[in-house]
Amino acid sequence: MTVEAAEGLAEKVRGALRGVIDPELGYNIVDLGLVYDIEVAGDNVAIITMTTTTRGCPATSYLKDGARDAAWSVPSVEFVDVKLTYEPPWTPQMMTAEAKQHLGITDGDGW
Amino acid sequence: MIGATLSRWTMSYFAAALVALMTAEGLMAAGYGYPAAAIEAPETLILVHIVTIGWLSILMCGALFQFVPVLIARPLYSDALPLPTLGLLLTGLVALVLGFLQLAGHAPAHFAFFPAAAVLLGSGFALVLWNLGRTLWSARPLPLPARFVVVGLFSVGATVFLGIVFALVLGGATSHSHFVTLTSAGVPIHVIAGLGGWLTFTALGVSYRLLAMFMLAPELSGVTTRGAFYVGTAAIAMAIIGGVAAVCTEANLQTVLSVAAILGLGAFLLYARDMQHIYRARKRRTIELNSRMAAVALGHLAAVVILIAVLLSFGALRQHIAAVVFLTCFGWLSGLGLAKLYKIVAFLTWLECYGPVLGKAPTPRVQDLVVEGRALKWFVLYFVMVWVATAALLLGEPLAFRASAGVILIATVGIVAQIVRIRRLADVSATARLPAGVHAPRLLFSLVKPV
Repeated sequence: MTVEAAEGLAEKVRGALRGVIDPELGYNIVDLGLVYDIEVAGDNVAIITMTTTTRGCPATSYLKDGARDAAWSVPSVEFVDVKLTYEPPWTPQMMTAEAKQHLGITDGDGW
Repeated sequence: MIGATLSRWTMSYFAAALVALMTAEGLMAAGYGYPAAAIEAPETLILVHIVTIGWLSILMCGALFQFVPVLIARPLYSDALPLPTLGLLLTGLVALVLGFLQLAGHAPAHFAFFPAAAVLLGSGFALVLWNLGRTLWSARPLPLPARFVVVGLFSVGATVFLGIVFALVLGGATSHSHFVTLTSAGVPIHVIAGLGGWLTFTALGVSYRLLAMFMLAPELSGVTTRGAFYVGTAAIAMAIIGGVAAVCTEANLQTVLSVAAILGLGAFLLYARDMQHIYRARKRRTIELNSRMAAVALGHLAAVVILIAVLLSFGALRQHIAAVVFLTCFGWLSGLGLAKLYKIVAFLTWLECYGPVLGKAPTPRVQDLVVEGRALKWFVLYFVMVWVATAALLLGEPLAFRASAGVILIATVGIVAQIVRIRRLADVSATARLPAGVHAPRLLFSLVKPV
């Protein structure tokens, strides 16, 4: 797979992940900054590195499974591996401007 | 496993607790117990224990089975124990009520209700301590909020121990001199350990995490938070250990409790400072109803502290202790409990229904399960009437107290109706309510798939 093809597929996966919302914040996990990385390996394996807004969140397993299922719905994705990490820990500053605006969050220093 | 999962029986705990709350409010409205009866009368004790065990403790246990795993990011030690635990707590409460009815001459004298209550409630709370204790033990070193819970669990152990002693003495099962002395002089320790150490201190610890989580505020672990924990722990230890020692050695219990009260005030001030910081530093500027009502409940905790200080300065605390206990139970603890229930039921219902189809189908938000404007009026009515009822107690107006208790019951029914609507997905739009693969939730328990 070429680099361009891998990047294109990663973008499609990113788009599919926008269909997965964080239930508490009510916004998609991509724009909330919960998806840290999407990598597509040569055999069309999507490797997603993601986090949750708080460690121990009861929604964790659902978010992880939801991300896996959404990515798997992308045509030509053969396998999905979702890795959960808390390094670095998520902060509201990781949201996109649109997500911040949606939640009424103002930019500021630190957390 | 990094994440926590749904606890199957949490809804059953919440339902049982709400039934107990409405029963207690109905009894108050009907004129049962204080102020129609003496504060130490069996009828008053029935009322007090329906509120503290049936409502507040069962609510707290159900919430802790769900949220201790969130605090420490570890699963609950046993998912099988909460159901028998609930059975023991409820049957124990029934036995305790029957024991008090026996004391009042309204139940057959030949049944050993008090010893039965001691065994059943002792076993139920022992299972709570075992399950949560093993869960917490596996996560050492514990984060600060979980340490508050540990102190709360020690306090409920002390509360239950004293309660068992009282039950065995009242039931005639023991006449050991220390136990008899504890029964006659240890009631204030029992009350402080239960309302202060168990219910309040645990609620403070959980609130550090839940309020930060729901309002997108930084989690605190600095000097004031550690101070609130250590000073609060010292206050509780002084009240319980120092108090029992004072009773058993015939020392001055009042002095010990006064020192504990000063320490408690210090812990409260540190906690209040932290809460102010969390609310001010929150990233979600528009906060949900549950967080607003939690702030009102926190205001009631401050009001309790001020009321105690004012009554102490006038030498009238003993005379008006019922008003203080009422405001603590209904303004602070029940207010916080109802506010958080409104959120937690929506959150857990969402996870149960829509969590499994996340990524497969469009899902509503947690907020789509609630209509805050409709619930707000019931919360406002509830809190206003708590103040009216407290004032009625302070002014010695039993009829006004009964009338306000009746309106508190109506407000509670209004809030419970909103919670039932959440559980029924009644406010989710028809198109979004049940996507393919989603089953309507059961009212009293959660259908949880093993993870």
